[in-house]
Amino acid sequence: MRTQKPHWMGTLSALVLLGGLTACSPRQEGSSGAAAADQAARVFTVGMSQCNLGEPWRVQMNADLKAAADKHPNLKLVFKDAQNDTLKQRAHVEEFISAKVDLIIISPKEAAPLTEPVARAVEAGIPVIVLDRALLGDKFTCFIGADNVKIGRAAGQWIKQQLGGQGKVVELKGLMTSIPGQDRHNGFREGIAGSQIEVIFEADMKWLEPEARKEMESALARFDRIDLVYAHNDPGAHGAYLAAKAAGREKQIKFVGIDALPHEGVAYVKQGILDATFLYPTGGAEAIETALKILRGESVPKKIVLGSRVFDKTNVNSGGKDLP
Amino acid sequence: MRRFLATPAGRALLALMLVLIVGVVFNADGAFFKVGTHRDALRQASVYGILACGLTLVVIAGGIDLAVGSVLALVAVCGAKMAIHWGWPGPAVVAACLLIGGLCGGVCGGLAARLRVQPFIATLAMMVFARGLAKYVSGGMKVSTAVQNADGTYRYVDVPGLFRFIDTRILGDNVSMVSVIFALCMAVAWLALAQHRWGRYLYAIGGNEEAARLSGVPVIAAQACAYVASGLFAAVAGLCQAAQEQQGDPETGMGYELIGIAMVVIGGTSLIGGRGGMGLTLLGVLTIGYLEKILSINAVPEAGRLMLTGAIIIAAVLTQRRKGT
Repeated sequence: MRTQKPHWMGTLSALVLLGGLTACSPRQEGSSGAAAADQAARVFTVGMSQCNLGEPWRVQMNADLKAAADKHPNLKLVFKDAQNDTLKQRAHVEEFISAKVDLIIISPKEAAPLTEPVARAVEAGIPVIVLDRALLGDKFTCFIGADNVKIGRAAGQWIKQQLGGQGKVVELKGLMTSIPGQDRHNGFREGIAGSQIEVIFEADMKWLEPEARKEMESALARFDRIDLVYAHNDPGAHGAYLAAKAAGREKQIKFVGIDALPHEGVAYVKQGILDATFLYPTGGAEAIETALKILRGESVPKKIVLGSRVFDKTNVNSGGKDLP
Repeated sequence: MRRFLATPAGRALLALMLVLIVGVVFNADGAFFKVGTHRDALRQASVYGILACGLTLVVIAGGIDLAVGSVLALVAVCGAKMAIHWGWPGPAVVAACLLIGGLCGGVCGGLAARLRVQPFIATLAMMVFARGLAKYVSGGMKVSTAVQNADGTYRYVDVPGLFRFIDTRILGDNVSMVSVIFALCMAVAWLALAQHRWGRYLYAIGGNEEAARLSGVPVIAAQACAYVASGLFAAVAGLCQAAQEQQGDPETGMGYELIGIAMVVIGGTSLIGGRGGMGLTLLGVLTIGYLEKILSINAVPEAGRLMLTGAIIIAAVLTQRRKGT
């Protein structure tokens, strides 16, 4: 989704996950008379291909999927980690097809190279749910994802309101060569459009906390007055906070981040480090819900856009507030 | 003067001076002249610099250590677990972290020196393995002050004293503790390299391993110790990184080994081995550290930064090579 770092290194955890997972669903060939009863008792195997587990957000996505699937004893979830390698992910889809899983969930690394393998799965009669990043065309069953432009815009509007329409803002961008970075940037600029808010310093922090801290130190050295920091993710906002704290200026500055992972952004808001964070939902629970519907033969929409929530100090203890 | 500029140290100093002049010219509305900017530049360069101390030892002995970035991450994760989650006292955390770093270095050293695996391959394997271990230990999540309870809720613990101590400033807020730690590492590495017999062994091995062996240098032990030292410095860097981030991130330190190696090379230590020194590495650390800072205060876009950094590394190394040093 976000970080575009080369993740060619194998991760041990991934290997552990992959160990012994040759998905092979025990298909029960029920007689036509007992089909209905068989349908209820059948165990469905769902193959999940994650583009990488280097980002905490994606670890969270898998955890959400697992938590939702664990509530349904008739679902067996098989996880695979592509370690940010498009071709590995393509192989995952092919392996799932030959293992004849009942449904595939894929959170793809990139659209173009994975569109065709997914289309082949659909042609082979396996429904495919695409999570977070979209594919080209329409050869998939359902796309579930959030809208970064919308979240960026909501952040911009919240900031406009908090600052009373004027102030000096530092924007710590993810990576401007990545789509989420561009979307969170463009949305934010739309959100603050028409106000007196001035972005006095902007820099790429590559989604990384130490980089964000360095860039923020530079901003602090250059500008005596900074009212707010908008970072494209929560680690970035946290890094900026640490820089401001070291300079003794954290009390004069507000910090806003995006993602709102429970142990990260939301925790920072609870600790009073960040002033607000905006949820970028993983869609894990929704994917399992949709998968069950598909497996039961119900129809599902082609595209599900996930809503976002804002967590600030007024609502963080009650679980945040839905964005319109 | 001319004679001084012909020495490696003179040239490395020239590169640093040039970078500083760029800073004076592009001073970002005077930000370059603030004390804080220099304190921060030194603090930011310190973690790389600590890695570069160990790398210098390995490189002089004719080896290379690609594992330092991953070992840094492994130690950051383990250190954060011990200090934040388990509440271990500071000295115990430091000792355990040094042990982890030393072990990683020891494995690399054993593979490279004893079993004659090419250092590039041996340390590449450790780089991949240690990164995986860091992810395994942390479960893929950052080890932070938000600690998960058994029922899935979170409780928040204070930042441990050890981390606060490392991330503090002394001398009237003008020097970061991390920079002091870097200076200490530099001093230890310099003593070992320039004043101790072991240092002379490393130069001898890097210059001509066969000749060194024939003259009675304990090649295997001396070489292996260089990797152990590199692992120990990586462990120190890992603790500094965790303290500054206030968490152990299994993804941290990605690519730091290359920055560290670039610092060593820009200083004028030869990758072929046998030539170089700690003073040169210090100049290399300052050159790259200041370059990063100057690009950052001027808010140069990422694409330009990467190109400029690449160009300056090449320019600096070419100056080093001129007129057969």
